[in-house]
Amino acid sequence: MTSLRLQVNGQPVVTDIQPNTLLLDLLRGPLGLTGTHCGCDTGQCGACTVLLDDMAVKSCTLLALQAQDRHVATVEGLADATGKRHPLQEAFMACHGLQCGFCTPGILMAACGLLKSVAQPSEAQIVDALEGNLCRCTGYVNIVTAVQQAALAMAPSGGSR
Amino acid sequence: MNAPLEVGRFGSGKTVRRIEDPTLVAGKGQFTDDLNRLGQAHLIVLRSPHAHARIAAVDVSGARALPGVLAAYSGADLVAAGVKPIAAAIPFPRPDGSPAASAQRHALALDRVRYVGEAVAAVVGVSRDAALAGIDAVRVEYEELPAVVDAVSAMAPGAPVLCDAAPDNIAAEMRHGDAAATDAAFARAAHRVALDLVNQRIAPSPIEPRVVLAEMEGDRLIVTLSSQMPTSVRDGLVATLAQLTPAQVRVRVGDVGGGFGMKTGIYPEDIVVAHAARSLRRPVKWCAQRLEEFSASVHGRDVLSHAEMALAANGQVLALRVRSAANVGGYATATGVLIPLLVGPWVTTSIYDIPIISLHLTAVMSNVTPVGAYRGAGRPEAIYIVERLFDAAARKMGVDPSELRRRNMIKPAQMPYTNPMAQVYDCGEFEKILDKGLALANWRGFASRRAQSKLRGKLRGRGIATFLEWTGGNTLVENASVKVLPEGIIELTSATQAMGQGIATSYAQLAVDVFGVGIDCIRVLQGDTDRANGFGSAGSRSLFTGGGAVHVASQRTVEHAKQLAGEALEAAASDIEYRAGRFNVVGTDLGIGLFELAAKQSAAQISMDGTARAGGPSWPNACHICEVEVDPDTGQVDVVGYASVNDIGRVISPQIVRGQVEGGAVQGIGQALCEQVVYDKESGQLLSASFMDYALPRVDGYRGFKTEFDTSIPCRTNVLGAKGVGELGTIGATPAVVNAVIDALAEAGLGRAAEKLQMPLTPMVVWRALNGEFDSVRMP
Repeated sequence: MTSLRLQVNGQPVVTDIQPNTLLLDLLRGPLGLTGTHCGCDTGQCGACTVLLDDMAVKSCTLLALQAQDRHVATVEGLADATGKRHPLQEAFMACHGLQCGFCTPGILMAACGLLKSVAQPSEAQIVDALEGNLCRCTGYVNIVTAVQQAALAMAPSGGSR
Repeated sequence: MNAPLEVGRFGSGKTVRRIEDPTLVAGKGQFTDDLNRLGQAHLIVLRSPHAHARIAAVDVSGARALPGVLAAYSGADLVAAGVKPIAAAIPFPRPDGSPAASAQRHALALDRVRYVGEAVAAVVGVSRDAALAGIDAVRVEYEELPAVVDAVSAMAPGAPVLCDAAPDNIAAEMRHGDAAATDAAFARAAHRVALDLVNQRIAPSPIEPRVVLAEMEGDRLIVTLSSQMPTSVRDGLVATLAQLTPAQVRVRVGDVGGGFGMKTGIYPEDIVVAHAARSLRRPVKWCAQRLEEFSASVHGRDVLSHAEMALAANGQVLALRVRSAANVGGYATATGVLIPLLVGPWVTTSIYDIPIISLHLTAVMSNVTPVGAYRGAGRPEAIYIVERLFDAAARKMGVDPSELRRRNMIKPAQMPYTNPMAQVYDCGEFEKILDKGLALANWRGFASRRAQSKLRGKLRGRGIATFLEWTGGNTLVENASVKVLPEGIIELTSATQAMGQGIATSYAQLAVDVFGVGIDCIRVLQGDTDRANGFGSAGSRSLFTGGGAVHVASQRTVEHAKQLAGEALEAAASDIEYRAGRFNVVGTDLGIGLFELAAKQSAAQISMDGTARAGGPSWPNACHICEVEVDPDTGQVDVVGYASVNDIGRVISPQIVRGQVEGGAVQGIGQALCEQVVYDKESGQLLSASFMDYALPRVDGYRGFKTEFDTSIPCRTNVLGAKGVGELGTIGATPAVVNAVIDALAEAGLGRAAEKLQMPLTPMVVWRALNGEFDSVRMP
């Protein structure tokens, strides 16, 4: 067992884990954050995407120990402290950016990572940021629209919303 | 607080926020793998590394001796425990008239394996790691046998035989139509075209892998899994596990991360996990890895066809002749055989008035993963054939492909129309849909768009598919239960199954229409065989069957509640009117709220069931038009335009049906351009077993769909007037895209040779075609 200290969704976590524990398994197991999904176990589908210090990473191909002293954000932490949904969550609902919802947490986090570095991304930048996320239901049509709408809503002016 | 306004906002025909979404976007969905039980054990399956081998011995004793291993099973262990084979009742004959054939399939293979990935042994451990260590300790002695992986090779003399009852590997065969009349029509035809068509093998690939969690509650077996058909899973468990009655099993389904037909019916792993939980009397969970999904979940399509069309001088189609071989995999199943031998043929003549057909169809076993349903299931294969033939005929005759289709379309005055497969279309205005499609796609303006593409060095092509599809799954009766609860909730229960398609929202909208309450009051309960049983969700049936039942049950509930309101208000029921959650005595201010009335009942609820009986399948139809640009230097195909006009009758949830058509179209584009399950011809190894090797469409594909719905032609055979929509986009997209690429290449100088292209149209395939190279495929 190895000692691990990190922040998850703003909360400090101190735990002992097997060194070979994947970040995904730490989140879904001991921490009970089952919003992060496992779709392919080989880093290709992106359903397990979380933020590691604001960068989108695939938690199925990362050891939990690689998050030592760092900050992990998952879909459960997207809403604010009062439970108010993140503009991305609102936009995905408004635009029908999800159907079965299994890939959605990963896509939300990948998009969230993008918006943290590029507040008003171009369509090409959105496509580039979501290239590692598979969705079998929507055809991605409404996903890109939803990210655009969320970016507008998050603009200082509040966008058109 | 204005109730009628609420109805206006949330009832049918309106775009509403899906009731499923708040939970899903919060990451609070309940997918099966999100559930964990106290004392839960983990099961791992050992799978065959060989495409075809005799199992000389399986020794699980090494696994059993390991710490943390709770049980280890071979196929023989399951048989000894009374687990029966998985029955495959296939209602078709073989060519010699004998019954359909398939090797007997056991949940864990007994003495022979017939495809890579077939389950051979299973180990249950206190943890996943313990079970994995156990798997390493299982010894299996295989004697490899020669393997065959395609239908034509499997039928050839001397091919490896999978099942003694079928020395030619033919599981079943059907002939439809009139062969002699077809021959005569071809003899007198002014034009004849013939195509060899490969409808390649597809991995359905929902992003949620299959997961099964089985546990005991007293003497009852509770199985929670990701499935489209909970009742069918329950019945499959009862049929295979020893001494188990339907009453002793409860199958539950939580959120389902995509189905697409792949999650219909029982899988071997369901049986093994349930058996383990019963014998160990503790919760057991199995989660498929993606590799297992590729090798051991059903595949779709895989049909080779030689197809011919005979036409009169004026372009009237006189007859169709098709010879097909469907590769149903290592074990033939009822679904795997039904799809190519009957479901596809039902729509072979599509929306066209084609009087004579001759179909000769075989279902062939080979050493690959069994085939089951995949979005469209038979209709995409059939529509691909007829739509490719129309383009080939139009090219040969020098006629506009939309014009040739128009000349052959069934006219509204011919409705109800009986096609050569005795299927009855209740309604359809195909020419009107075509005209709207041509306008939406600006069909006439294509020449200038092609010229502009040429200036950019690109070859532009245009493809059309006008088509219909059969929906309903041949199960047209559905029930629903309604419960009005005092806490302000109206609960709808249905045996149809949500899998991401938004059916709960559509049902809620239908209930809002009747009850006139806000959509927040509606709760939809599915996925529990203790609450409702039925066929489940497949074949684009749920809305027009289950939704009809919701409508009927809601109306019956209001009528029943009127009686109760009459009693409560001491008035005749005929004097009671219901509006927006409230009963009033007409002409007075005397009244009672719906939920208040429920609270007054002795059962503290008002409940009523309802049944809807559709009079036939619904026949959604559409015109899909695609434009592509081909890069002649790389062979890269880009979809650059996609317009569709869809007749799905009455629309309940506009945003949802648009999502179904466009998301479905992307799946169809995936088959046209990139997806393909590949087996090594010699070894039978599965080469496309990860998302690195199997190319699903990604976000950089086409997203600019122009999608319209014509709601003016309601279905006449169901209470809602709705037609199924779940599979329409997938069926239309594949031929529209392929026809567009062939058009581009034909125009680029290949002419009719471009018709030799076979899916998927990868850059390599297209580039080679531009250089005159085509893969030759052996046809049946």
